[in-house]
Amino acid sequence: MKNNLSSTAIVIPLYNEESVIEAVLKELRQKYPQYVLIVVDDNSTDKSIEKACIKDVYLLHHSVNLGQGAALQTGIEYAKEIGCRYVVTFDSDGQHDPDDIALFVQTLQNDEADIVLGSRFLGKTQNMPLRKKYLLQASRVFTWMTTGLWLTDSHNGLRAINIEKFPQFEITQNRMAHASEIISIIKTLKMRYVEKPCNIRYTEYSMEKGQSMFNSINIIIDYFVGNMMK
Amino acid sequence: MIFIKFLLIAILTLAFVIFSFSSRLKIFQKLVVIAGYGVVFFLILYPSYADEIAHLVSIKSGTDLIVYIVLALMALMTMVLYVGQNNNNKMITKIIRETAKKDAKKCQ
Repeated sequence: MKNNLSSTAIVIPLYNEESVIEAVLKELRQKYPQYVLIVVDDNSTDKSIEKACIKDVYLLHHSVNLGQGAALQTGIEYAKEIGCRYVVTFDSDGQHDPDDIALFVQTLQNDEADIVLGSRFLGKTQNMPLRKKYLLQASRVFTWMTTGLWLTDSHNGLRAINIEKFPQFEITQNRMAHASEIISIIKTLKMRYVEKPCNIRYTEYSMEKGQSMFNSINIIIDYFVGNMMK
Repeated sequence: MIFIKFLLIAILTLAFVIFSFSSRLKIFQKLVVIAGYGVVFFLILYPSYADEIAHLVSIKSGTDLIVYIVLALMALMTMVLYVGQNNNNKMITKIIRETAKKDAKKCQ
């Protein structure tokens, strides 16, 4: 199945984003015509899947809602199958700035790291709600306690991964605990990592869909139980 | 024999019959379950023995002993069910993922 379409794939997990997904994909396509766009629809109940079907986008569909982690892993596996070397993970809600991707991919191409992690605290992120800021600081401490890695932003969806060098990179946490799992994978596989600035666009829409405090507890439980079951 | 004993034995017998016909346990596991049912039957019929066993392990009454055992067994059962469900989830994820990759389409 390998046909080397492009060395880089942008994987976008999608769930109920009918109002923004088309604009997100068009912006990505316009800025990165040379990259493969892989959208993994996680069984959306709205018209997201129709809106996501724009020219040259590879569209995959989960027949059951599995979670963002599962959608990312499906996209990563598909990118490997079609012969991509690098994978960029990108949120579908319009929070990420496509302009940041170039630096991430360049860092991998220059072999400066095996995985590049986005950090909103190094970038020019504005309008970040205070509650979100504290939650992210708490997650930094949690990540440090569980993995020993002290990151400035441990739960950022924008990442670039060298999947050619690390084909064994595999997300097993189906839901939101995948972000913590990725940090564990970095440690386990001894991947060279670097954080790069990224700009998060906080809008009313994205804040409405954001993670609640209660969900953070679920993430912690999922993470520990998932590790126990490995 | 009081009514509650009849009721408990009837429920237990029904559970045992359903279990016998539907479970896919190995022979050793079946023996453990049968032994468990046997102990419960015995304690329903002769509850005073529960007190004697409880005293042997420094527990005040047979009722307390049974409550402790039931709690421990329920915790164990929850864990076993969780592991089973987790394995099923993994299999479901694999099937859905393979189907998604097989049916991937390039939009025109």
